[in-house]
Amino acid sequence: MSQSQQGLERLLRTLASHSELIAEAYFTGVVYKDNQNQRALNQLKQLKVLVNHDADGYRIAGRLTQFLDSALSSDRVRRLDTDLADWIDTLKLQISLYQDAEVENRLGDCDNYFAEIERLVFDLSDTLEENTRYLSMLVNSRFANVRTLAEKQKQNTFYISRLEKLVNAITALQPESLLEMVEDQPLIYDLLDHQLIRKLPVYQQRLQDILDKLKVFLFELRQIEARAQLVQGFAFFLQQNQNYQPQDWSERDTIPEHWNQIKPLALLAYADPLDHALEEDLIEIAQKIRIDTEVMLAKQKQRSLSAVSLSPQDKTTLDLPLYRKQLRVYFDRVLKNEGQSISAVAFQQAFVDDIEPSIWLSCVLNEWLRRQQRNKRLQMELIQADVGRHFSGNKKVRDIVLQFRGANN
Amino acid sequence: MFDQLLKRLLQGEFICEVSDEAGFRYLQDPENAEQVDAFLTRLDYRLSSTQNRLAFFAAYRTIDNSARSDIRKVFYQFRIELQPVVEWLDMMMSCLNQDTALSPGDTLSFSGLLQVIEQNQALADRLQTFAKFKDFTSGDDSVKGRLEKLLFTLCKWGYLTLANKDTLIYQVNGKLDYFYQALQFIQEHEQIPVEQGETDAIQGSLF
Repeated sequence: MSQSQQGLERLLRTLASHSELIAEAYFTGVVYKDNQNQRALNQLKQLKVLVNHDADGYRIAGRLTQFLDSALSSDRVRRLDTDLADWIDTLKLQISLYQDAEVENRLGDCDNYFAEIERLVFDLSDTLEENTRYLSMLVNSRFANVRTLAEKQKQNTFYISRLEKLVNAITALQPESLLEMVEDQPLIYDLLDHQLIRKLPVYQQRLQDILDKLKVFLFELRQIEARAQLVQGFAFFLQQNQNYQPQDWSERDTIPEHWNQIKPLALLAYADPLDHALEEDLIEIAQKIRIDTEVMLAKQKQRSLSAVSLSPQDKTTLDLPLYRKQLRVYFDRVLKNEGQSISAVAFQQAFVDDIEPSIWLSCVLNEWLRRQQRNKRLQMELIQADVGRHFSGNKKVRDIVLQFRGANN
Repeated sequence: MFDQLLKRLLQGEFICEVSDEAGFRYLQDPENAEQVDAFLTRLDYRLSSTQNRLAFFAAYRTIDNSARSDIRKVFYQFRIELQPVVEWLDMMMSCLNQDTALSPGDTLSFSGLLQVIEQNQALADRLQTFAKFKDFTSGDDSVKGRLEKLLFTLCKWGYLTLANKDTLIYQVNGKLDYFYQALQFIQEHEQIPVEQGETDAIQGSLF
């Protein structure tokens, strides 16, 4: 058995076990607390079968009364969705009948009419309470939770019609005229004042809240609709204009507010090791680092040791690259012919075949830079090409001339 | 609350109901907002919000050359985001079969989206077109891989938050309010042709 089934069964059992109390409340309009029934009354109140009548008394809740009226085919049957304003008219009629009976001293009728007035007032009060609370709950929890505009429109119609009914009922109540009507009947005056008139500001406030919420939601709905149109229109536009880029609005004198966003700052803070309040935390962190390090070390692979062998190893002689050999020949020639300038390009054209002149010149320059550190007598002269464009910052070299100066120069 | 919130604002984050509910509620209180603004003022910043006050962020109080340079970057990022985000919003309307665009607070279910897209070749093709945008290229060519990449990038850009890691439920952030604001601005000022006539008639009947 499900939880809700269990709950229903418990409710029905409670109703059955307290049927006499409920019947008394239905027929007499009120039951009062005593030593025997106190617990039962509390239990029935918790189950919303009974509600407070006054400080010591309880009456049957409006909805249960209506159910009992309907079940017993009572002439007091009123449907919940009846226009609440009609109830006010009925109430006024009953008051007038009570007043006539009182004038004519028909005491029995007076009691009956009073019981009917009381029931009407409680019903009206319960209905206003339940409807305003229910509508408020719906608006707060479920409003706007729909997918389509059509659903939204249906929902609006529902809420607005309920709201209209409630507003009409409260407007029709006209507290001053009602109280004025019964100022000679203190019993009815107190009943109306306590059960209806004093509660009106609460209902009115609740309706105002509902109205405010509806306004916000209707405004939001308008925006949602406009947004949908905007998104669909823009998507279509972008499909038609794939290379579209918005104008550079950030370059305008007045930058639109929505793009005025700060550059994100990278926030960093350091712990102060001299701050004793942090000592324990820092120790904990430090210990964690040690453990982490050990874990990392444990995962490291063992380094293999180089093998030591007594047997002689084979030696491999690497050949010098060709350009190094040719550079050596060129520089040997320069060094042998002391005082004689030898052109690198001329040497290349005569003896070097497979190196581009520009690469050859770079190699010569590099080799000269390396050697001139040790040998200052090795002089170099750059032969520059005509400068096509002035002030380019570049030198265009077409030849390098080396000379090994004599020791006396 | 104050310190955490300020750090997030200074790090350029949008504070909204989805990304930081407590922080957002805190800033909705005018007194708290004033305190945060007073602090930011000392850095020559100020507290700003999107048009519908669905998200708060830090803005420059004085727009000098340095601020202008930073704002330019924000605008360039918007340029990058414009096409893919519009395409995503439009595609979500089709996926969710609704005639309203996504709003901050709306939820998206990864499995729900995947199911719809896998059963609809047109939507799968649309998803594939995201590959033309640099930030959406995925190594995984499956629908699932592409959808993951799409939602991941939108999270990275701050338009979505992964609200539930187990069920892969995403929630739309308040930053989308900023995007709509910027989109509307461009539409109005650059006279982008967007049909409006039908909307007015529909809105009139709402009341």
